[in-house]
Amino acid sequence: MNGHAFLLWWDRIIAMTLKELKQLIRDPVLLLIISYFFTADVYMAGSGINLNLRNASVMVIDRDHSAASRELMYRFRKPYFDLKGEISGKNEAEDLLNRGRILAVLDIPENFQSLLLQGKPTAVQFQVDTSNTVLGTLATGYATEITAGFAQDFVAKRLGLNAEQMDALPVIQNRHRVLYNPNQIDGWFMSISELLTVITMLSMMLPAAAAVREKERGTIEQLAVSPLSPLQILLPKVISMGLVILLGVAVCLFLIIIPVFHLPFKGSIGLFFAVTALYVFTTSGIGLFIATISHSLGQVTMLVILLLMPILLLSGAWTPPEAMPPGIRWAMYISPLYYFNEIGYAILMKGAGVDILWDSLLGLTGLGAVFFNFGVWRFRRQFG
Amino acid sequence: MGEAALVNEATVINIAGFCKSYKNKAAVDAVDLIVKRGEIYGLIGPDGAGKSSLMKAIAGVLSFEQGTVEVFDVNVDSEAAAEKIKGRLGFMPQGLGLNLYGDLSVEENIDFFAQLRQVTREQLAERKEKLLAMTRLDKFRDRPMKNLSGGMKQKLGLICTLIHEPELVILDEPTTGVDPVSRRDFWAILAELLREHGITALVSTAYMDEAARFHRLSLMYNGQILAAGEPDAICRQAKGCLVQLTVEPQIDALDLLKVRYPQIEAIGSRLRVFVDNTSSMDAVKVVSDLLPGLAIKSIRAFDTELEDAFIALLRQGLLANQAIQANTIPRFDNPLSNAEGIAIQAKELTRDFDKFRSVDHINFVVRQGEIFGLLGANGAGKTTAIKMLTGILPPSSGEGQVAGADMRNAGQMIKERIGYMSQAFSLYLDLTVMENIRLYASIYGVNRKIVRQRIAWVVQIAGLKEVTDQLAGSLPMGIRQRLALGCALVHQPGVLFLDEPTSGVDPVGRRHFWDILVHLARVEQVAILVTTHYMSEAEHCDHLALMYAGRVIADDSPGNMIQALQNEAGQLLEITTDNPLAALAQLEQGGFKGVALFGKHIHLLAKDIESVEKQIRVLLDKQSIRLIALEAHAPTLEDVFVYRVLALEEKEPI
Repeated sequence: MNGHAFLLWWDRIIAMTLKELKQLIRDPVLLLIISYFFTADVYMAGSGINLNLRNASVMVIDRDHSAASRELMYRFRKPYFDLKGEISGKNEAEDLLNRGRILAVLDIPENFQSLLLQGKPTAVQFQVDTSNTVLGTLATGYATEITAGFAQDFVAKRLGLNAEQMDALPVIQNRHRVLYNPNQIDGWFMSISELLTVITMLSMMLPAAAAVREKERGTIEQLAVSPLSPLQILLPKVISMGLVILLGVAVCLFLIIIPVFHLPFKGSIGLFFAVTALYVFTTSGIGLFIATISHSLGQVTMLVILLLMPILLLSGAWTPPEAMPPGIRWAMYISPLYYFNEIGYAILMKGAGVDILWDSLLGLTGLGAVFFNFGVWRFRRQFG
Repeated sequence: MGEAALVNEATVINIAGFCKSYKNKAAVDAVDLIVKRGEIYGLIGPDGAGKSSLMKAIAGVLSFEQGTVEVFDVNVDSEAAAEKIKGRLGFMPQGLGLNLYGDLSVEENIDFFAQLRQVTREQLAERKEKLLAMTRLDKFRDRPMKNLSGGMKQKLGLICTLIHEPELVILDEPTTGVDPVSRRDFWAILAELLREHGITALVSTAYMDEAARFHRLSLMYNGQILAAGEPDAICRQAKGCLVQLTVEPQIDALDLLKVRYPQIEAIGSRLRVFVDNTSSMDAVKVVSDLLPGLAIKSIRAFDTELEDAFIALLRQGLLANQAIQANTIPRFDNPLSNAEGIAIQAKELTRDFDKFRSVDHINFVVRQGEIFGLLGANGAGKTTAIKMLTGILPPSSGEGQVAGADMRNAGQMIKERIGYMSQAFSLYLDLTVMENIRLYASIYGVNRKIVRQRIAWVVQIAGLKEVTDQLAGSLPMGIRQRLALGCALVHQPGVLFLDEPTSGVDPVGRRHFWDILVHLARVEQVAILVTTHYMSEAEHCDHLALMYAGRVIADDSPGNMIQALQNEAGQLLEITTDNPLAALAQLEQGGFKGVALFGKHIHLLAKDIESVEKQIRVLLDKQSIRLIALEAHAPTLEDVFVYRVLALEEKEPI
């Protein structure tokens, strides 16, 4: 390609990109939707969704009414549990659990204290509603810990040990050191996760919508008979929508995530935006493919939702790959969000650089090349 | 007073002082309209004239601000009132098959509308058979609606509108986008229903050449009624007469006459001039005197036709205050390097889609400076042919040359050398006029040094100076089409492809558009290929190719085509009687083929006029129908089209 032809090639790309941006600016509804996703939606995800056990309602069936039973039950305290009081028996407990009024019931048997004092084993029952598995599992875990702690203290008291003697006992202390998110703020994880989801969705949706709109309005025909190549028609859509998405990401990071959730931006801002651009390019390939098989904006939306679900589920955001069944674990490698998740969290929260992330970056680049070429190839077959 | 009462009794629609506006923009402004029982009443006007608003209000589906609308003596001023008349009328909205369901079959669509209208099972069965037979859709009853051609969709739409046998049918642009044969079918069905059931029809159209189909009509423009009455009477309202001449060199004569007569157009080798306020006797002389030294081959004065009358009335009336801009059309920067010779050549060009052959070994040649028309119904293969020639679609076999490049392997080169304007407006409605032009200048790689100058040239040639900063979406059809033409010309191509360029454009806009095309062909020697199924566009062409089922079945100049039909089938007889409906039936029974009703007149083709006249007199006398007049005319291009296609359809039905 000589110099003149090269300039002409870029002139066309720039003219088409500016056209896309002008059209977007004149579409107030679309603008509103994009700004909603990058602000309010991320804010809601970060502040509204909580993955910890907070104020879980617990009620107690106390059949013993002893000092020991009272002490155990008052150990179910805020912030994890909220003790709502006592109930009379199993039937009432079941009823409340069934209706979802409470999350768990602690059942303390008769002779609880006397058995303990006699040094005989005894058991309490903890009934948990695990229809929400996360909360249920957490509640069980915390309850186990509370009961064990109570037992340990009771034994120590029974043996009449003082604090010094206690320390001499061979107890293994489990000490946590929380990395990257020392206060374990869900807002950090949730808002970033939502931002990555929003980027995924919009980078499929916006280029696809821009392409299918040309189909719907018939403007594609005029472009097809012009000297533009399919790549010159499609690339400007990806470039323009990519710019819009990067702008949205900047707004989201610097107006929502960092100021509102106080996320410490550990890594390189430049690297994060560069990776985001690469990711937008990758997923837009899927979007272009969607545009070639759709006839209307409605179809595009449905297909984006259809493809977004597996991309999210296979992204590793909720379950790491090693916890997935073997077949599905393999499928994760074709979810672009899997790579972006790894890279995104690593840069934002761990401050990782290219030296650590090179393999994920390579995976994302490879996937992007395949998707984008596939999208352009499909388009060329339709309009070439 | 007794007479007035009688008229009242027969009045189906009575509208007075009707006003309707959208967002403070008046769509219809103080319109009066009276339609009598048994009439086919026409509303003729370009897009945006207010026809649809008026029709929707009559059908009771649109509220309005001022005036009264009375249908069957019910004042349609509320939803309750509209409910009262809904059972007695049928309304077909604008758009091909828009009121139908694409995935339902022909029969299922009819059944659905019948159930909606609570037609009994027996009635439905009887009417369905009859209407399907009449529309020749009975062979396609199981075909999904979306797979029908445009003409068939409209016929199905008509059946669904008529299934409850309404007394009044309101049809909004039923023939837009429909080929001439289906249009003729359409009018025949309407005439038949008129005869059998005495229905009343209010029909709108954007095409002036359909005017003769109506008993009475209103010419609408910009929400107002320009003229109303019988077609002939409206033509007489325009003061002046029409002169048609053949003169060499045509372009010089055009320039000379344009200064004096704004209403002039070139149709093939002829010029048509409307001479204001002059009788036909004087007009010929006045025009001849303006052309000293030019070789006038023939010159004749004619009666005004409706389209000419429409423009004349507009100029003399609504637009009288507006200065008619005598737009000088600018030249190309550089004359075309290959201004002579063959611009487009198709050799045995063929395209198959799966088992279906869309284009079947077509051959034609278009020379530089020639306006070439590709005619045919929807699905005849016109668009596929254009797609192959413009390099979008590879041919299955055959070859073609476009602008000196081989279409099989130089697609990119062809794309750089041609201009293309597609059927639907395919520029960006959310960009301004200037932004659209600039975008296409970049796409076609107009040199940066001359781009400003070139954009100014486009603005001037397309006459867009006043609207450069407006969004394309806010422009009326006529200006949009000129913008599309301007964008197609931005690289000053030697070959121009236009796919149905002026459908929906008002006559004034259409003239302006064709002025530019004629200039491009005559002065710049641009080769122009136009596809159309509208005869008003076909008349402008130097050469025509008629396509049917993927083949070119006739290829000649318009004049020769008409001559060939005259030699083969004879002259067009226009028969005027005191009872046209009865006469129509009588002539059909008497064995005449291709008899068609045009308002009060009947048309048929006849070779031996004297003997045919005797036959007709005998037939009409039997029913004591009085023959008022019998005139022989030259057949029109539409007659050519319909005759050729029907002859082939009989031989090999699709």
